[in-house]
Amino acid sequence: MAHKAGFQTDEKALIQAAQKGDQDAFGQLVRAYDQSVLRLAMNLLRSPEDAQDVYQEAFLRVYRNLNNFRFDCSFHTWLYRIVTNLCLDHMRKRKVRKEESSLVEGSDGPVDRMDTLQESRAESDPQRTMFAGELRERIQKALSELSARERMVFELRHYQGLKLRNIGEILGTTEEAAKNCLFRATQKMRVALGDFV
Amino acid sequence: MNTCEKVREQLSLLLYGELSFDEEGAVDTHLEGCTECRAALERERELHAAFDRAEIEPPASVLWESRQSLQRQIAAEHAPVYRVSWWDQFLDTRWLKSAGALALLSIGFFGARMFPNLGLGVTGMSLMDPGAQRVRSVEPGPNGGVQIVLDETRQRVVSGGLDDQNIRVLLLSAAKDPSDPGLRYETVGILNDRAQMAEVRDTLIYALEHDENAGVRLKAMDGLKPFVQQAEVRKALAGVLLSDGNPGMRTQAIDLLTQGVGDSTSNGLDRDVIGTLQELMNHENNAYVRQRGDRVLQLVNASQETY
Repeated sequence: MAHKAGFQTDEKALIQAAQKGDQDAFGQLVRAYDQSVLRLAMNLLRSPEDAQDVYQEAFLRVYRNLNNFRFDCSFHTWLYRIVTNLCLDHMRKRKVRKEESSLVEGSDGPVDRMDTLQESRAESDPQRTMFAGELRERIQKALSELSARERMVFELRHYQGLKLRNIGEILGTTEEAAKNCLFRATQKMRVALGDFV
Repeated sequence: MNTCEKVREQLSLLLYGELSFDEEGAVDTHLEGCTECRAALERERELHAAFDRAEIEPPASVLWESRQSLQRQIAAEHAPVYRVSWWDQFLDTRWLKSAGALALLSIGFFGARMFPNLGLGVTGMSLMDPGAQRVRSVEPGPNGGVQIVLDETRQRVVSGGLDDQNIRVLLLSAAKDPSDPGLRYETVGILNDRAQMAEVRDTLIYALEHDENAGVRLKAMDGLKPFVQQAEVRKALAGVLLSDGNPGMRTQAIDLLTQGVGDSTSNGLDRDVIGTLQELMNHENNAYVRQRGDRVLQLVNASQETY
């Protein structure tokens, strides 16, 4: 807890320095959050190019608007509001363009392009590798069938580990609404994966 | 809805720790007496573990490219208008993103922009370096023509002093190029001459902490030597001491952090460094590094390990 309090104090100082034009301070702020921002965008959009677009746009908006940040909420919440809005925009546009598929042609037929990007992991058992691949595919399919908001809440809760109260704050809704969203998302996922897990 | 159904609906939220105190109490009480719901809880745990395995971790290269690109965009926002020149266009082009990055250009574009008198003919292509091109796709064009999309990597020689910000931007980017340790080593060596600049120092610290090549890390440490009294440099050196896998690096870090200890003019050693050394002694396996650490701790009359 003391560590967290210390970080928050440091963070406030960093934000104030960045607001005065200190580029180093801004760089430190970016580095404190950019991995989780990129991970969120990548998991939601399943396209490295789109994830990079969101990354750029989000941090540029932060950079341009940092002087308007008044510490009414945490920097994390403010940043995530920007990131989630950008991701939701991408997801909605994609739905309109009906570009849901992230499959590309591999040497052994279609593969999810994100799988081609995964860092290689030691996996000696081919059966296990195949099962893991199928499971990932099923989960991705189930995720793609969630609504944009359900998907967002699920990602923020499960993969980013944020509490529902914080998620509500980020998405501009109540904790209860976020809870309902998460409930619906996990229920749909359970139905879609019930026979597999 | 009976109690079992109601409890099973809450299992996921239970695992997320998102039930209220009363709800959690009621679910726990029910689980104590219901084998089937306990089995359902186990299945829910497996489902959550399966979700974990499906998470995508962005490759380091994507993060690196994103950071470089952001840095360039922010630098571009600061650039005075009169400097929007070939340099800025140069910095804006996508192929600078990494050694293998691509500029996507069509022959039509080249024909119109670079070889206006040559039209779209093959002659235009022959003027470019064929080794730096690859045909990505071919499509029939209007009037029986063809449109070819090329992936092209171009080379250009740029020269200037280290005080030129544009040169520095390129060097700072090259110092983090994950594909070429030789390039990083040379670049870090050159940047060492400007370690008094915060952005350069940041890059050297980044190399010291993250570069996978010990030679590059050592070179970065050389550049940081004159700034060993600065807090961020000391922090990075303490990190080297505790987590760098190379014993040579750890020895150098001890030497730098404890410079002057034992001299008659020395003011002793600050408590953070003593604490770091004691932490190191708790797990250090290398005899030479242990001996160096030991010696310093004896000189400052500190115990060897923390308990």
